[in-house]
Amino acid sequence: VVWIYHKSQKADEYLREIKEQGLLAEAVRQCVEAAGHEQEAETQKTLLRVKPLVCTSIKNLAHSLFSLSISVSAASFGKCFLSNFPPELFVIMCRDLRVLNAVRDYTVGIPLTHTQFKQMTVQVLIDRLVYRKLYPLAIEICRYLKTPEYQGVSRVLKHWACCKVQQKEESDEVIARTISLKLGEAAGISYSEIATKAYECGRTELAIKLLEFEPRSGEQVPLLLKMKRSQLALSKAIESGDTDLVYTVVTYLKNEMNRGDFFMTLRNQPVALSLYRQFCKHQEQDTLKDLFNQDDDHQELGNFYVKASYKEKRLEARVAHLQSAVDEYNKAKNEFAAKTTEEEMRLLRFQKKLEEEKGESLVGFSLHDTLRTLLAVGLHKHAEQLYKDFKVPDKRFWWLKLTALAEKEDWEELEKFAKSKKSPIGYLPFVEVCVKHHNKYEAKKYVSRVTPEQKVKAHLAVGDMEGAADAAIERRNEGEISTILSRCSPTTDRALVERLNRAKSTAAKK
Amino acid sequence: MYVIQAAAVRGRCAGCLMAQSGRRDAPELPDFSLLKRLARDQLIYLLEQQHEVDKLYKVELKPIVSTADQLCFLIRPRIQTVKWISDVVNLDKAAGRLRRYKIIFTPQKFYACEAVLEEQGVFGDVTCDEWAFYLLPLDDDIISLELPEFFRENFLEGDQRWVGAAGGALRLIHSLYGPFSKVYGIGQCAKMVYESWREQVEDGEQKTQQPEIGNVFLIDRDVDFITPLCSQVVYEGLVDDIFRIKCGSVEFGPEVTSSDKSIKVMLNSQDKVFNEIRNEHFSNVFGFLSQKARNLQTAYDKRRGMDIQQMKAFVSEELKGLKQEHRLLSLHIGASECIMKKKTKQDFQELLKTEHSLLEGFEVRECVSFIEEHINRQISMIDSLRLLCLLSLTENGLLPKDYRSLKAQYLQSYGIEHLLTFSNLKQMGLLVEQQPGETLTVMESKVGKLVNDKTAGKLTDAFSSLAKKSNFRALSKRLVLIPKSGEEYDLRVPRDMAYIFSGAYVPLSCKLIEQVLERDGWTGLEEITRMLNGHEFAVSGGANGTESRIKADSQRIVLVMFLGGCTYSEISALRFLGRERGYKFIVVTTAITNSGRLLEALLDNHP
Repeated sequence: VVWIYHKSQKADEYLREIKEQGLLAEAVRQCVEAAGHEQEAETQKTLLRVKPLVCTSIKNLAHSLFSLSISVSAASFGKCFLSNFPPELFVIMCRDLRVLNAVRDYTVGIPLTHTQFKQMTVQVLIDRLVYRKLYPLAIEICRYLKTPEYQGVSRVLKHWACCKVQQKEESDEVIARTISLKLGEAAGISYSEIATKAYECGRTELAIKLLEFEPRSGEQVPLLLKMKRSQLALSKAIESGDTDLVYTVVTYLKNEMNRGDFFMTLRNQPVALSLYRQFCKHQEQDTLKDLFNQDDDHQELGNFYVKASYKEKRLEARVAHLQSAVDEYNKAKNEFAAKTTEEEMRLLRFQKKLEEEKGESLVGFSLHDTLRTLLAVGLHKHAEQLYKDFKVPDKRFWWLKLTALAEKEDWEELEKFAKSKKSPIGYLPFVEVCVKHHNKYEAKKYVSRVTPEQKVKAHLAVGDMEGAADAAIERRNEGEISTILSRCSPTTDRALVERLNRAKSTAAKK
Repeated sequence: MYVIQAAAVRGRCAGCLMAQSGRRDAPELPDFSLLKRLARDQLIYLLEQQHEVDKLYKVELKPIVSTADQLCFLIRPRIQTVKWISDVVNLDKAAGRLRRYKIIFTPQKFYACEAVLEEQGVFGDVTCDEWAFYLLPLDDDIISLELPEFFRENFLEGDQRWVGAAGGALRLIHSLYGPFSKVYGIGQCAKMVYESWREQVEDGEQKTQQPEIGNVFLIDRDVDFITPLCSQVVYEGLVDDIFRIKCGSVEFGPEVTSSDKSIKVMLNSQDKVFNEIRNEHFSNVFGFLSQKARNLQTAYDKRRGMDIQQMKAFVSEELKGLKQEHRLLSLHIGASECIMKKKTKQDFQELLKTEHSLLEGFEVRECVSFIEEHINRQISMIDSLRLLCLLSLTENGLLPKDYRSLKAQYLQSYGIEHLLTFSNLKQMGLLVEQQPGETLTVMESKVGKLVNDKTAGKLTDAFSSLAKKSNFRALSKRLVLIPKSGEEYDLRVPRDMAYIFSGAYVPLSCKLIEQVLERDGWTGLEEITRMLNGHEFAVSGGANGTESRIKADSQRIVLVMFLGGCTYSEISALRFLGRERGYKFIVVTTAITNSGRLLEALLDNHP
């Protein structure tokens, strides 16, 4: 086939012959391949030219053959290829050859054959060039072959930078600047890897400078830790917003530093501190206490002791914890909490004493629940005492006693209680509670004592429609009259309904 | 009476249909079942590496009785759970038992957990894996991260470890249904989640695809605490308040099923009956259900006078559907009856009245005495706390006198442990004392300036309650959150989002979303954001901003991400807003919350 190129008369004949045998495509492929195995650049060209030539010849078999053989241009190649011969093979071969020729150059001196090249892949070739520190050539090749930046140019640049940091004669400043200039914004560059290299060469300062260029703060942390720049690592970790990373650093610091320094470091980093507190809450209660102590956070310390107190079973231990809490709350100037905690201690002692005397289980109840229990078992005197000692609001005590007595259905005692003095909660609750316990008879006793505003409600509660109507009509309250009317059923006395309707219309007129 | 209601219900349905037909082009929601499939496949892959899973156990922090020679734990990365596993391993070791252990953390592993394994000396005995299950679709338009602890850890304890997970969830949605063309947000956490997401997107590869979700709105729970603290009166919210919906399903007890068994029901749009009443104010629900019951009866009655052929067709085609509907209908009627029993009582009406007065700032002294009585009578631990917080939030703190006395009474009722609860509530700014001289008028005059009252000495206190002023009164005036009182509000034909609270209050969170979408940003809302402590942002263009303009439909799909949880009432409000404005909202939340869950997360009364 090569003969075709030699402008001989016979060429055309050969060509026809090959074509007739249907071997044209195969012939072209062989030529392209042969070019690959050829070392000499000129011969490669010759072989490669065959292809476009042949292609053209199919269309203009005879006459265009010679004129076209003079120059081979990409354009003509594209226009007229063999009906279905894939152009890729040709293009790839051209590119490969250019690369091979470049590395075969005596200044480089890698005499690779095409087969070897295909076997070892571009990646490896680049690596070899990098090892020989032929960075510019490697970058050129990457760009020429359009290797993705991440695997190509960036990788070479990283190697270059790693090599650069080993140059002892240059100052940290200069190297850092040169590297950042050259690397710029190249994709996939990991400054932390370069910095690691610098650190391995014993240039810690340079490493720190280089880390400054790392856009992802998370990447900086492991190396900073390795270089024992733990404070810096902590702030970088926090900056990254990755709490896991923060936690990694915190654990590291915990093991590295003495406790005092560790706490001081945390104190300046609220995010880290809150994380560590979380951990301590589950794992190390005592550390938590130390942390609060360090900060003189008396409020939190007080809370801590309160929490500790209700984990204790024994009364003495409980009270002791509460006493500590009181002290802390006082230091925190939280009078309210201090006072309440003191009361709690008093309550606990009271409960304990009563528990021993009466065998009622009381310890740990709230004041309200204690009172309720006492009233329920009929220890009225003790309840009264508690009520006075702890300045329980009258309303609460009345509600408590009312419900307790009603629950026991101790109606006699309830009546006595109601008459003991003027009820601070009024008498409607008496009516309602009795009704709730299905005792309308008792409920009615209190209706008369209910204030005028609540009378209608009270009458309705005991089911006394007449009484409700009287009260409402007396008060000329339209809303109340309507409420009663809505409760009337077909069985209700007709006269009553009429009376209500009349009253309603007069009330409405006003 | 029924007839009137039924007619009204029909009117309402026609209204709905009209709203829908007016927006015939309302965009379709993306298909979220893909999320489930992806997660399931990954879990199967992880489990296939184990052989023969023999039984699944619930992690109950109890000793394990099993003869299997390998144990696999699928857990959240919680220190307590990991500690329990360490104990299991150590117990086995002490008993001379050889087993293999594997922990699968979901959605991710935390270094703190590994540190626990290491400290307990079992790090070498256990292998760890991660199951990146971030998002659980609860319904067509609700996706949950199912991270209830997010709220307490992030807002109370200042632990930001879940921010990355929230960012990861957003990244997942972005990669499947994005790119987003606009991201709005408010709140510190929202900002951090946004940044975390941006970072993760930059690290990963970018795909170009047709966007299905155009806009994203991130909002912190602490921007609006008032809304989740109000009693819910919309059906779905009520069911959640009373029966507690878990992962989109609810267990109805014997009082609902009127048998001796409990029944678990999935509550989502597949349930035809539920789907029609979930967003309704409770006062409409009964009317609707009775109408539905009568329709059902008519459908059953068709059987009469059928010949054999017709009967056969009826049985094979319709009967099953009718039976199904019958079953659901009787359940929802049962639930409604149960709700009625609890909620139409006098005290609930008074509770609602107090809440509304607080929101309006009307007769506050009476509210205080109501709360006092509520505490004194030990009516409900959580409800009392809720009222206290509402009082504090709406009034910018309690008067010093009230603050002390109400707290003291609460402690008398429920025990001293609640000192810690109060300390937490104070830190969150939920229950605070009014600062002397900081009356309402002074506050309002200060609005021009930064609200942070950085008096000397308080500066260091990062969690100072001062910086967390709620400014509710001023906010509600500017955003018109409280409709004019005195006007009749027809709950069957809602005018605005206030219907979810009987027309008494437009939820702040949803109002903000409405305003920002309307204005395409925060312009004109500067004063509002200042009162909400800032941290607002609006960023155009996700990965490929310019391209995503092409698909207009996606622009009307808005993903709202609640950091710290959202309530069913808020979801109902957003659905209403969507119908009105032609949007479709997708709610992504760290968990579904309500007043009970929110406050329980802040209790500290158990060791």
